[in-house]
Amino acid sequence: MNTNPNEATAPAYNRSRQAREAETLLDRIQDDFPDNPEAMRYFYDLFRRVYCQGEPVKHEGTLVGTTCIHAPEELIYAFGATPVRLCNGSYHYDQIGADFMPAKSCPLVKATLGSLHAKAAVPNTQALELIVNPTTCDQKTKASAMIGAMGYQVHDLELPPAKESEEARLYWQRSVRRLALRLRELTGRKLTRKNLQQAMARTARAQTAFRTLHQLRKNAPALFLGKDAFLVTNAYFFDDLDRWTAAVEQLNAELQLRQMEGFQAAQKRAPRILFTGSPPIFPNLKLPLLIEEAGGVVVADETCSANRMLYDMTAVDEWLLNDMVDGLADRYLKPCTCPIFTRNDDRQRRLLQLAADFNVDGVVYQAFAGCQVYEMEYRSIADVLAAQGIPMLYVETDYSPDDMGQLSTRIEAFLESIKTRKRNAR
Amino acid sequence: MNYFAGIDIGSTAIKAAVVDEDGRLIGTRIAPTGSSFHKNAMETFETLLTQHGIARDAVKFITATGYGRKLFKEADDSISEITANAIGACEAGKAFGGVRTIINIGGQDSKAIQIDVNGNVSNFAMNDKCAAGTGRFLDVAARNLEIDLEELGDYHFGGSGAPLTINSTCAVFAESEIIGLLAKGHGKEEIVAGIHYSIARRTVRLAKRVGIEDRVYFDGGPALNKGLVAAIQDELGRELVIPEQPQTTTAFGAAILARSQYLAE
Repeated sequence: MNTNPNEATAPAYNRSRQAREAETLLDRIQDDFPDNPEAMRYFYDLFRRVYCQGEPVKHEGTLVGTTCIHAPEELIYAFGATPVRLCNGSYHYDQIGADFMPAKSCPLVKATLGSLHAKAAVPNTQALELIVNPTTCDQKTKASAMIGAMGYQVHDLELPPAKESEEARLYWQRSVRRLALRLRELTGRKLTRKNLQQAMARTARAQTAFRTLHQLRKNAPALFLGKDAFLVTNAYFFDDLDRWTAAVEQLNAELQLRQMEGFQAAQKRAPRILFTGSPPIFPNLKLPLLIEEAGGVVVADETCSANRMLYDMTAVDEWLLNDMVDGLADRYLKPCTCPIFTRNDDRQRRLLQLAADFNVDGVVYQAFAGCQVYEMEYRSIADVLAAQGIPMLYVETDYSPDDMGQLSTRIEAFLESIKTRKRNAR
Repeated sequence: MNYFAGIDIGSTAIKAAVVDEDGRLIGTRIAPTGSSFHKNAMETFETLLTQHGIARDAVKFITATGYGRKLFKEADDSISEITANAIGACEAGKAFGGVRTIINIGGQDSKAIQIDVNGNVSNFAMNDKCAAGTGRFLDVAARNLEIDLEELGDYHFGGSGAPLTINSTCAVFAESEIIGLLAKGHGKEEIVAGIHYSIARRTVRLAKRVGIEDRVYFDGGPALNKGLVAAIQDELGRELVIPEQPQTTTAFGAAILARSQYLAE
């Protein structure tokens, strides 16, 4: 069943422009750095097949699009459906999306709208039977009706504006239950404790693999570069879950071997960077790449396209199915450090913890122009980090390549100041 | 005698500086960047050496900076213009009793840098994508007003009325604003003063973002414009320290770095 009334296939030019963008980036990621892990080839090839050659995303059962990490994917898997995250990083689609939203709004939301409007081949929007749109920031909230007007079925997953209060928790639990009902209607299947447990076990295995990779990045000197790490987590958006997990496990095994051999992915004194703010989404890996091209290394991140999406695990087991769904809902609300929440002290705590655990020298804070919540949290984060003596570079940018020259100068100067600081401290 | 050079390849001009073994400034040279900047950079550098009777092989280390730094393969190393500017200003600022804040307006960007007592960058801010409020903006304005760039400073003080308000710092929008003001019969003097205040407000906002400490050093080509200096001082509420050659601070900083890199090796 295809609920999309417009059966026309994606125009070829859209595909090829996005393909060129993807190809240029993949070439930079692969060719500009020596000694990429052998196991990364799986991910390089995956992105080339899907983004450059337009290979349809593999899925079982109903394909359900999600526009945010707040959509509980275990619930979707439990109904025998496959979630695919639609958040888009393409400048090409950002420009198309500018027809729907003010030019100054978030490029991520615009690009997502653009790709849906253009019936993009990636990730097979033609096959989407439902789009779950959590009502997070203003822009995603308002995107709902626009996506609906394009002919897609949209489910507004209502998210409370706070996460600490009991009221918010109950509100959210009811929202998630309502999503379960919608999925039952869509798939015609029944939710059971058993299939929910199985879904949780699958994502838990994926998250375990991610956590191992995350821990390996603590190594000094660095074993693994951030540009590859973001590629791995971006593949999670659309890749087959079990295939992805196996590929990450293989990567981990290789990195563990490299660890024993004393391999270095970057210079010994390369500044160790913690990346936070608006998420790098393929092919917009502009900022992490610039950091690593300038001789820094992104060792950890606090973004919803990587760490925030995968770190917190779901391990819920209750006697009653309803309680399990509620427990699952809690996982998608409580640990989240998204700046849309009224109070977000958790984000500050997490950043400080990551900075300490990963022996971080500096923080790079990306705020997409138009992503107001990140822009607004800038000052509080800057103050908290400054109090701990951790330097931070705040970068307001978008998907356009216009500011690459300016950005590379700023990043180099930031890395140089970190190096001087470290030299003086010795 | 060994010498060390810094070459700052900017968007508008190429600046070269040479220091001796003791880090004393021997000489500087400035030339337009043009379209074949590599050739021009080489020429500027070589002419500077000839002027001071320095043999090419007496120059032991070259550090490149500015937008063209990566493409100047003759250099031994490169450094971002922010770090080079900080080093140069810290050294040049000693004559004024030391500086902690730097404002730099270049051909196509503007920066505010905060340095610690050792001259290390502790914080900086830079204009984002466009050339609003930079040297290019003055260029466009001077052309609209049909006056020479060098005359802008004199016009600033020539007006009788209050400076006009130029709302836009975007070179393109300001152009139409300036033409509009001319059409209304306003004097060039008031318009020039208005332009300077418009850049000054934007620059001071940038400087406040990094925090203003101690003496403020102002460099880059536009620092030669006395009217702009007066406007920034007015907006800032304090005196600016202007070096003798505001255009070459960054090249000087790169030369100092070249010397210490050579000595460290």
